[in-house]
Amino acid sequence: MVAPRAAARSNGRFYAILAVVAVIGVGTIAYFADHRPGLATTTAITPAPPGSLGPGKGHQLGNANAPVTVLEFADFECPACGVFAVVTEPDVRTRLINTGQVNYQFFDFPLPVHKNTWFASEAAACAEDQGKFWEMHDLLFNGQNDWNGEATSDPSSVFKGYAKDLHLDVDKFEDCYRSQAHMRDIQANQAEGDRRHVNQTPTFVIGTREVPGAVGFDQFRALVDSAAKAAGKPLATGGAAGAAPAAATPAPSAPGSR
Amino acid sequence: MTRRQLIALLAVVGGCISVYLTLYKLGKIGTLSCSLGSCETVNTSKWSQFLGVPVAEWGLGYYVVLLAVAIAGTTARLEDSRVVARALLALATAGVLFSAYLTSLELFVIHAICIWCVGSAIVVAVIFVIALIDYRAAPLAVTPSARPA
Repeated sequence: MVAPRAAARSNGRFYAILAVVAVIGVGTIAYFADHRPGLATTTAITPAPPGSLGPGKGHQLGNANAPVTVLEFADFECPACGVFAVVTEPDVRTRLINTGQVNYQFFDFPLPVHKNTWFASEAAACAEDQGKFWEMHDLLFNGQNDWNGEATSDPSSVFKGYAKDLHLDVDKFEDCYRSQAHMRDIQANQAEGDRRHVNQTPTFVIGTREVPGAVGFDQFRALVDSAAKAAGKPLATGGAAGAAPAAATPAPSAPGSR
Repeated sequence: MTRRQLIALLAVVGGCISVYLTLYKLGKIGTLSCSLGSCETVNTSKWSQFLGVPVAEWGLGYYVVLLAVAIAGTTARLEDSRVVARALLALATAGVLFSAYLTSLELFVIHAICIWCVGSAIVVAVIFVIALIDYRAAPLAVTPSARPA
């Protein structure tokens, strides 16, 4: 410790040094600061006035003219939707969609209880702009625990990472995400679910039957078979866990599908 | 420069880091500059809040208190105060323990490192070492009133 008089003498110099360090600190913050507002603050959801939304279009996969149309109403942050997407949906795609038997349409149905689900829907819709909705869909469901409301208050960095992994144009993706370019489309998809009285996720509409809850592949296949028979277009036979039936037609590369 | 002046300077440096991270948490800046690690992953995780308050704000409050105590300890009246030395050591110990907790969360739970948080942890660790030396050097029996002229 310095002597009192020496301390008094050095205090003036010390305060000057302190001020210089503080100024350098503030300058450094200003230099590093990205003055664009944070994503979390720009993504407050503003509901569109009732009646002002167009029809919900969903996100389509597979043969648009397939014998059976399946609608899925799902919330990206919902664990049951995640289980379906990870466990059952790969079989559904391999055996029913890619074989041309099912026209699959995904509708966002964000639930109020999930804090980050709107942002996830926005990220998926922005990926669709670059033709990679389903790839983003898969990453979102596989990585739910990395970006859900339990894990983070601002999932944007995780979504940006997914965009990079999918080799999207990240700047374009971010612009779309920040501007909430697809918020009305997502709301329209949600409104479609409301119109059909969907009250849980996932909910499937298989043919004319509404099926709430995450179903396993066997039940899903049976419901598709039933819908196909009801429509007078029975599917090619094949066990639920058996080989995929011969493809009716290959899946077309319709916009939004893969 | 005395040890307490050095602690005050380091508190300003740590305070600047906390201001930067607080501005991010408040949404005043868009993205964190992060040449190394995953700052946003860490700062948006659920562990970026402690008792409902962002950790960055706790850090800012902590450095302000540390700065105030360290500056008080540089004044002629308190420069030999063992109470100040003890307070600085207590603050530094609390800081270093909390930083260790946060760093362990980054490494073993979040699996992402925030370079700004590591910077703050290093600042706190250095402050702790200086505060420990200051405490050991502070005279045991001398109080401001009893100190010889």
